[in-house]
Amino acid sequence: MEKEKIHIQFTLNGRDVSLDIPVKMTALQVIRDGVGLKGTKEGCGIGECGACTIEVNGKAINACLMFGVQLDGCDVITVEGLEKEGTLHPIQEKFLDHHGVQCGFCTPGVLMSTHALFKENPAPDDEDISNAVAGNLCRCTGYQQIFSSIKAAIPVNAVDDDSDMASRHDDKAMCQDSATERDTSMALNGTKKDKTEEAQHHG
Amino acid sequence: MADMKYVRAETLEEAVAFLSTHGLQTIILAGGTDVMVDVRSGELNKKILLDVSRLAALKKIEITDEGLCIGSGVTLTEINTSPLIKKHAPALQRCSCTFASRQIRNIATVGGNVAHASPCGDTIPPLVIHEAQAVVANQDGQREISMDAIASGAYHSCLAPGDLIVKFILKPRKVGFADFQKIGRRKALAVSRMSMAVMADKDETGNLSFIRFSLGACTPTPHRMDAVESFLMGQKPTHERLLQAGEILAEKMVEITGRRASIIYKEPAVQGLFMRILYPMVEWCAQ
Repeated sequence: MEKEKIHIQFTLNGRDVSLDIPVKMTALQVIRDGVGLKGTKEGCGIGECGACTIEVNGKAINACLMFGVQLDGCDVITVEGLEKEGTLHPIQEKFLDHHGVQCGFCTPGVLMSTHALFKENPAPDDEDISNAVAGNLCRCTGYQQIFSSIKAAIPVNAVDDDSDMASRHDDKAMCQDSATERDTSMALNGTKKDKTEEAQHHG
Repeated sequence: MADMKYVRAETLEEAVAFLSTHGLQTIILAGGTDVMVDVRSGELNKKILLDVSRLAALKKIEITDEGLCIGSGVTLTEINTSPLIKKHAPALQRCSCTFASRQIRNIATVGGNVAHASPCGDTIPPLVIHEAQAVVANQDGQREISMDAIASGAYHSCLAPGDLIVKFILKPRKVGFADFQKIGRRKALAVSRMSMAVMADKDETGNLSFIRFSLGACTPTPHRMDAVESFLMGQKPTHERLLQAGEILAEKMVEITGRRASIIYKEPAVQGLFMRILYPMVEWCAQ
């Protein structure tokens, strides 16, 4: 049966995305199967685990609870948008330094919750951090390491901790621009079928 | 799986007009955090998805002659950060701190929480103590429904298919004491097993001059507990008096729900949560 499709346009990690999707498609399916970015994970599918956390207009959101059509006109960042030109984002660096990654399934979601937190509050205290990532479950239960990683990545502390990191923060806006220039056309409609097949292959 | 048609309303009038003809086949999309779960499970199966999430008319928070008006499309994060709500409805602001998770608070709306009519809707007890009226629009105009009347049973609201909640009008009240507490299986994201909202003021002698108390989640619809309020009103809250008030509350809860199997847990839990939320009053009134 031919499903009714709706046209959406949004910015994903600085690139313009334009595609036709069925109304019932979740934002997560749009990102994974429509665009083919597999970094964002689906855990529970009902908004309890936070593995699908993405940033929409600067705010952390569960992509599994959002209709794809709600992304229309929004500025979206996924875990793939953190790394710039082969350089990891300071938050990612700190997750490596402090062993914040075990099996890694929850990591993209935790990174995005952290990224949104720092945008809102560059100097969060322990309680702010707990609140920000309370919606992210880690089945490996590596919460202490996740917490230490986030604390180490706090932008205002980063100046003392690692001067290189501070400058990378300043460069962030610039990097975003170059990413936009780098690739503006994603021929999504044509590749969608292949992407879906690929997704099925990989389970 | 049959797909849905998507319609985005550009104005409130357009949304109301659309609902007047297509209300029966339409799901209203505000934040979508409840709608999505129910659509994917197949529990909610209608032909059209009407998106009202971008209507500015549903997003206002303001003080008017009517009271504190909170648009139905206001998100829990917006409630949490609004100075007006912090000042005039502090228990509602407190409830927004623990509502679900950050990711859900960023998109879920107060109107959606009420319209979903879950017994465990966290925003309902705070709205009840502010004697909130829901302003509901349909093709015939607007009418007001009180919060204790809007939920007609668990997951059933008295809203008709053509109805759209526009805003809530709360009686603003600056009080010395206000709180919201709940019990869930996990701190974040847990569905409330039990929730309570309270606000109170005292006179110069430390007796309670004003109190509003509401119980949520453990009864099919939220209830303002008049018996508890009148037992405490005009009195100085002491450890002993609060224990007695907690017993009255437990009795009232059993009156509403009947003696169900969960009562072995719920009776002491409701009294315990009651002490947790009200106990700080003892010291506050002794000052």
